[in-house]
Amino acid sequence: MSTHSVSEPVVTAPATGRWRGLLTQESIATIMVSVIVAAAVLLPLFALIVSSFQVIDPSGFGATWGLDNYRTLYTDRIIPKAFVNTLVISSGTTVLATTLGVSLAWINARTNCPGRDRLEAWNLTPFFLSPFVGAIAWHDLASPKIGLLNAWARDHLGVQSYLFNVDNIWGVIWVTAIFFTPLVYLFVIGSLRRMDPSLEDSARTTGAGLLRTTLTVTLPLVAPGILSGAIIVFVTSAGEFGVPFKLSAPYGWETLTTQIFSKAVGDDANYNLGATMSMALGAITVMLIWVQQRYIAPRSFTTVTGKGFRPNVLNLGRWRWLAFGYNIAFIMVAVVLPILCLFVVSLHPVWQGRIIWGDMSFHNYARTLVFWRPDHIAAATNGIYNSFILAFLGASLAMVLSLVVSHMIHRTKGFGARLLDVLCVVPIGFPGIVLAMGVVITYIRTPIYATLWILLLGYITRFFPYGQRNIASVMMAISEELDQSSRMAGASWFTTMRRITIPLLKPGIFAGWILLFVIFLRELSISIMLYTSGTETLSVGVYYLTNFESEPLTCALSMAQTATLIVCFLVFRRVAGREALTA
Amino acid sequence: MTTNPSNIAMQNTSGAYLQVSGLIKHFGRDRAVDNVSFAIPRGHFLTLLGPSGCGKTTTLMSIAGLHRIDAGAISLGGMVYTAPAQGVFMPPEKRDIGMVFQSYAIWPHMTVAQNVAYPLEIRKIPRSEIDDRVAGVLRLVGLADMAGKLATNLSGGQQQRAALARAIVSHPRLLLFDEPLSNLDLKLREQMRVELKRIQHEVGITSVYVTHDQSEALVMSDDIVVMSKGRIEQKGGPREIYTQPANSYVSNFIGVVNLLKGRVVEANGAGSGRIEISQDGMCVQLPCQVSRGIAAGAEAMLSVRPENVQATRENGGAGCLEGEVMQSIFLGNCIDCRVRWGSFEWKILAHPRTRLRKGERVFLRLDPAHTLAVVP
Repeated sequence: MSTHSVSEPVVTAPATGRWRGLLTQESIATIMVSVIVAAAVLLPLFALIVSSFQVIDPSGFGATWGLDNYRTLYTDRIIPKAFVNTLVISSGTTVLATTLGVSLAWINARTNCPGRDRLEAWNLTPFFLSPFVGAIAWHDLASPKIGLLNAWARDHLGVQSYLFNVDNIWGVIWVTAIFFTPLVYLFVIGSLRRMDPSLEDSARTTGAGLLRTTLTVTLPLVAPGILSGAIIVFVTSAGEFGVPFKLSAPYGWETLTTQIFSKAVGDDANYNLGATMSMALGAITVMLIWVQQRYIAPRSFTTVTGKGFRPNVLNLGRWRWLAFGYNIAFIMVAVVLPILCLFVVSLHPVWQGRIIWGDMSFHNYARTLVFWRPDHIAAATNGIYNSFILAFLGASLAMVLSLVVSHMIHRTKGFGARLLDVLCVVPIGFPGIVLAMGVVITYIRTPIYATLWILLLGYITRFFPYGQRNIASVMMAISEELDQSSRMAGASWFTTMRRITIPLLKPGIFAGWILLFVIFLRELSISIMLYTSGTETLSVGVYYLTNFESEPLTCALSMAQTATLIVCFLVFRRVAGREALTA
Repeated sequence: MTTNPSNIAMQNTSGAYLQVSGLIKHFGRDRAVDNVSFAIPRGHFLTLLGPSGCGKTTTLMSIAGLHRIDAGAISLGGMVYTAPAQGVFMPPEKRDIGMVFQSYAIWPHMTVAQNVAYPLEIRKIPRSEIDDRVAGVLRLVGLADMAGKLATNLSGGQQQRAALARAIVSHPRLLLFDEPLSNLDLKLREQMRVELKRIQHEVGITSVYVTHDQSEALVMSDDIVVMSKGRIEQKGGPREIYTQPANSYVSNFIGVVNLLKGRVVEANGAGSGRIEISQDGMCVQLPCQVSRGIAAGAEAMLSVRPENVQATRENGGAGCLEGEVMQSIFLGNCIDCRVRWGSFEWKILAHPRTRLRKGERVFLRLDPAHTLAVVP
């Protein structure tokens, strides 16, 4: 044809050399990211393993190889108890959170409970808030002496000493469970909503009653979701530091996380023993997460197929008001009461369990937020500043990393892809405090120790898989041919990423970014291990205030953090839509 | 065209433009493509035809550069695209190939015009020329009034046209089609077949088309390569593939056919001979065409198209098979008829004026010119 270039471009084969063809933009980016991820994840793990086998001799200077640290795990005075406490807390939390999460999800997805559309946002709110702050709030609500509820009971019900007491492991279970209920809720509600109603209808047509259908069809289909949620809750609560640190450790109930913390920074610091405990905790959690990711999570996708179904809705009749009341009760104890209590306490100069209207002022907010005032508390104001930097930088870097990693896992599909897939599961199984222990040991002799960079490294390593999953879920819904057709149109790998892949993934990228921003803004267990004076974070600021300053000051900073997180939650729901949240 | 002899040892058959030789590709342990070779002259339309999993799409992806092959070589107009033995691999974006994907792959975040302009923007062509060429090509595919629409607002057939426009707008050296019509409904598919062929003819770009639909292949192609299990079964023009299938697989895959096991008893050098069929104790010898490579005494398959079997009430003597009409369906332009002969059921397309009643005894006469003995 006439428009075709008259002379064919005269091109011979490129210069020989087997490796020339392999050095493409794609392979360079791939190799770089693989090395970064592998180093970030494996170095701390390796450091933990090595130092757990090193035993410090009594003089405290030399170290020898041996299993003494592991022996200490069961000969120590405290550690075995801490181990038992951790198991009790995790099991209790799992049972309570699963019960709450499944029942709330069922009420919201499958019954005609009034106001379901409005309730959902409230049910999910704790997912975005800090459990540590939740523990502080519940301490102020229900500790024997200064608890608002107990004071009220003494005044109005004539109770002699107290009604509730959350300063023990039962309190830890209570607070952890209400904060992790949304995890189970999210795992279950997706399957309940997207379940093909004909699956249940066909059971009903065979003559099975409602109860029988629920037990033989609905429940088995949702079971993988419930199991996944339960495992995640177990693992997350075993690694939770803030709640036991506030509610149980001061009263004699240590857990593995509080013990690791004291071995890392306390008076009896012993990194090697800390590493050994981390190994014990990490081994359990990684194993559970592995089972969940490999065997249970894939099933929940195969059983519930299709999209856009309108699920069967059960008419509860008059009982729907009971369901409504139950849901409202959850929202009260999980969101409304704690936040109200934080606010009330934060207005008082001192807190002794009594509301004194005349004493109220915003003075505590001024001291914790306004950094130019002479009486400001540096730990709090530094924390705000640092946390915003960390959250912004961390979320952005982690999303870039997630993008390339997702691309490799779901598009390249080579050997590196399988390796990366594994590397992405490991950090999810590592409690923050365990990873931080590894990071401390790895980098203690490097210049990044005691800077914000080590916090950034810890944050990204631990949490980038969450961002990666957000991208991956969108990426799997987008045909690979959209990328390929750009390559065929003559665009390089990088141009394709910039002009096609990233614009198409924008919703997933943004949702993941906000999620990470929220996680980083409230992060405690990594920060507490890695901060030094000057690199405090928001949650470390709260920790500092609760340890060394007053309860009202603590509440003021907690309140500020909570308000910020709620704003993020609202933005997230607006951009990402209702169904975007994936646990 | 000035063909530049490549420095890679690869014989450039005269007239061959796209040349694929000895292609081998593994997925894990499976050999998806096994020693596939073919060549197309410039401007030709070649179809890779076969059932799903036969390696046709893998072959296409290898030409595109979206898959890396394990062995073999691919060259276009004398330019070597891939030759793993020499360490040559040209990335897909450098190959100057247009491609229409099965899902069309129209980018949903761009308008139709932006989609089509993309390859030109990548080639850094001035804006004014881009606008002209986009308008021109959209007119060619019949989407002139859709230019400003978002791709998500198009119907399947329109997306198909947009994808074609995007593939040809940069005047690529080669055009690849990966089952582009399989997502359309039957009526649209038949319409688009003709349309695609017209546009390809108009722009004159050498094309490789992948499909599992044999009628699509027959209608559109200059050359057909029939594949199965990663290997080539036969190469040839549509007429040759249909009338002279190389083996029973090809004759069965292309169109409807009667296949019977037999033994060649006589084969002269000119390609005709006799085949003996033993069926349920009956034994007949029929005159037939014998495919190359089948010697007298060899096992073979008798292959006869339904339209080459005649059913009559009169006994035509030797070479006639007597059977019973099992089914006779009037289709308007012909009669689809089934005749039982022993335990074998013959498929016959009879003239519409023929009246055959169920249960009737009839005699079948096979046209010796179109009765083939093929490799089993």
